Amino acid sequence: MRAALESLLRERKLDVTLTSAAPCPAPADRLAATGNPDLDGALGGGLRRGHLSEIAGRASSGRTTLLLTTLAAATARGEVVAIVDVCDTFDPASAQAHGVDLTRVLWVRDTGDPLRALKAFSLVLQAGNFGLVVFDLADVAPVVVRRFPFTTWLRVSRAIEGSDTVALVVAQERTARSPLGVTISLEQGPARWMGGAASRARLFAGVHPAPRIVQAR
Amino acid sequence: MSIPSYDDLTPPIPDVLASDTVPQLAQFLGEPSPVSSFQLPRATGCVSSRSVAGNSPGDAQLETANRPLANVYACLRGAADADTPLMAIARDFSPRVMRVAAGEVLVDVSGLGRLIGAPDDIVRELRRAVAEAPVDAVVTIATTQTAARVLARVPGSTAIARLPVTVLRDLETLPPAASVRDRERPYETLERWGIATLADLAALPAGDLSARLGRRGVALQQLARGCDPGPFVPDPDVPRFIERLELEWPIAALEPLSFVFARLLDPLSIALERADRGAAAIRLDLRLTDRSVDRRVLQLPAPMRDPRVLRTLLLLELESRPPSPPDGGHEASIDIVTIEIDPAPSRITQFSLLERAVPSPETVSTLIARLSALVGESHVGSPRVVDTHQPGAFAMDPFTARPTRDSTIEPERVGGHAVRRQRIPPAVRVNVSAGRPVYLAPSRRGIPSGAVVQAAGPWRSSGGWWNAGSTPASVTPMPRSGDSGLVTPMPRSGDLRQGSSCAEHWSKREGGWDRIEWDVALAPGEVCRIFQDRATGRWFFEGLYD
Repeated sequence: MRAALESLLRERKLDVTLTSAAPCPAPADRLAATGNPDLDGALGGGLRRGHLSEIAGRASSGRTTLLLTTLAAATARGEVVAIVDVCDTFDPASAQAHGVDLTRVLWVRDTGDPLRALKAFSLVLQAGNFGLVVFDLADVAPVVVRRFPFTTWLRVSRAIEGSDTVALVVAQERTARSPLGVTISLEQGPARWMGGAASRARLFAGVHPAPRIVQAR
Repeated sequence: MSIPSYDDLTPPIPDVLASDTVPQLAQFLGEPSPVSSFQLPRATGCVSSRSVAGNSPGDAQLETANRPLANVYACLRGAADADTPLMAIARDFSPRVMRVAAGEVLVDVSGLGRLIGAPDDIVRELRRAVAEAPVDAVVTIATTQTAARVLARVPGSTAIARLPVTVLRDLETLPPAASVRDRERPYETLERWGIATLADLAALPAGDLSARLGRRGVALQQLARGCDPGPFVPDPDVPRFIERLELEWPIAALEPLSFVFARLLDPLSIALERADRGAAAIRLDLRLTDRSVDRRVLQLPAPMRDPRVLRTLLLLELESRPPSPPDGGHEASIDIVTIEIDPAPSRITQFSLLERAVPSPETVSTLIARLSALVGESHVGSPRVVDTHQPGAFAMDPFTARPTRDSTIEPERVGGHAVRRQRIPPAVRVNVSAGRPVYLAPSRRGIPSGAVVQAAGPWRSSGGWWNAGSTPASVTPMPRSGDSGLVTPMPRSGDLRQGSSCAEHWSKREGGWDRIEWDVALAPGEVCRIFQDRATGRWFFEGLYD
């Protein structure tokens, strides 16, 4: 009976509220690759367009690396992307080094207030035709993010529903995602170094993000 | 078999029969009025032979007062720098306006017979318009462009028939490369022949003149007879898209002003659509109740004419920068609103299956305006990496969404690490042991802290010291091996604001930097970059590797 009902809802495209993660592969043009081959493989091709996904992790867990990789992949596809940078920590040089075409990036920086940043995020989503819109809350304390009205993320999900836009929230904790969005969790791992511990030629070799999909579709 | 003569080989010359033109020319040149002369056109046939035979011109004008005129031109001739006002006056009468020389404008008034009346009435109206404008100009009217221009050159009491041939210099159209010698040669020849006036030149046999002076001689004679060398080619009309509204009651709020904008922008948008134009810029003039005018110009990234978009942009502009009186008062009510559109050819959008949809320029303009009103104009844009080694340097460019095809090339990865950079590095307290940082203590919340478990460095970086105002380098020595304790002294009591003061100090040092950098991994797991400013010896937290 349940399977029949779910099948009927999917047939009528009313399945977004189903809680069961039944396999429902999306066509390739409805997926946006993240540029991370392992993650794209696990996601079946990438983040689903028209849905809200999130990257959650602590500092130095590779959130920004994954974010820049995703931005680079989007701009390489010819898409226009936007990033709402609440704490003004986006580094254009790092982004360019990761292959992001900065001319296709709309950067809303130093909003000073998370609620004002949320409004800017909504404005960008409502404008439409952005391939990827990022809401960077990585430097905002989780307690502040939890103060957002509970309807916030539902409204965001409805704003992009059916569009080609991928909305992506970067935060320290799991914050929100739409039913067909994904949560990519990153664990803080040991940093990589080159050279001996006491050597003056020792170099920081970067963090290695190990993404884990918490709730798959 | 007949041998062709020279005249047979010469190209036919239209309207060169003296018997056909000289009587009319004589009448034309014998007209005494230096300001207004009018000869009814032959082509329309509305001139009866009575007028040529000597009936009073008034009869002919009366006869044609209610008929559409044909081939009637008015000439407005003023100073060389009077083009703009003369064109404006001419456009008030007719859309068919041609600038023929500096300070000289021809108007095709053929269609004004029904609207204004007889030619004398047209001249009178033109003269009145010239008198009301801040420009001095002569107004003449005739059936040909040349005749109107010749009449405009007649001095006060000189008979037209006695005008010198040299008056045709201004009316000739010669190649720009023609030398002065070539320009003057026919006039010298005519002078040697004793041909001094227009009447003398017009009376010459055209065939003989062509044989001796060539085509140019015939062209000069045509001008002397009042014939046009070419058709009337009106200048493209450049209409002004401007709307103005005087309010009965002053407005101080944005909401009622939006209705005023809608009332002004709707007809402007319709006019732009009819002219196939878009708005490249909006000029908004708000006259305030204290008689001051708040002027602002909105440059648009692409021509657009959607009145809703234009109204939104205007409202957002006023929302971000409300009009204020020049004396700095707070209350600013508006009593006159004027909107002028700078037109540009409308945008032609060709959609393609091979290009991704991007936000339209209208959408981008509205979005940028909204975001600018929300977070500030300088905080919205497209980042650009500048050509410098200064850490964290970047520039902001206006954001424009350009459609491009999918790139099949993988993005170029230069390398490097993803950094979350502090725009103004906050000061931190660092314990140094054996020349290496061993503990990081933050000066405010949000900055990682803990024991240093891994470190790479030191890396010295400096630059921009050659700029004026920067602090010279090498004040604080490098930490030596064996040093213990703190390079940056621990804050004393009452020194809790050290972080913010250091941040302010750092932000004011524009242009130059000289520092020692360390990449450190802290015990809690964060990896960050810290640096010591060599000028002050203080440590700063630059960013987090993530």
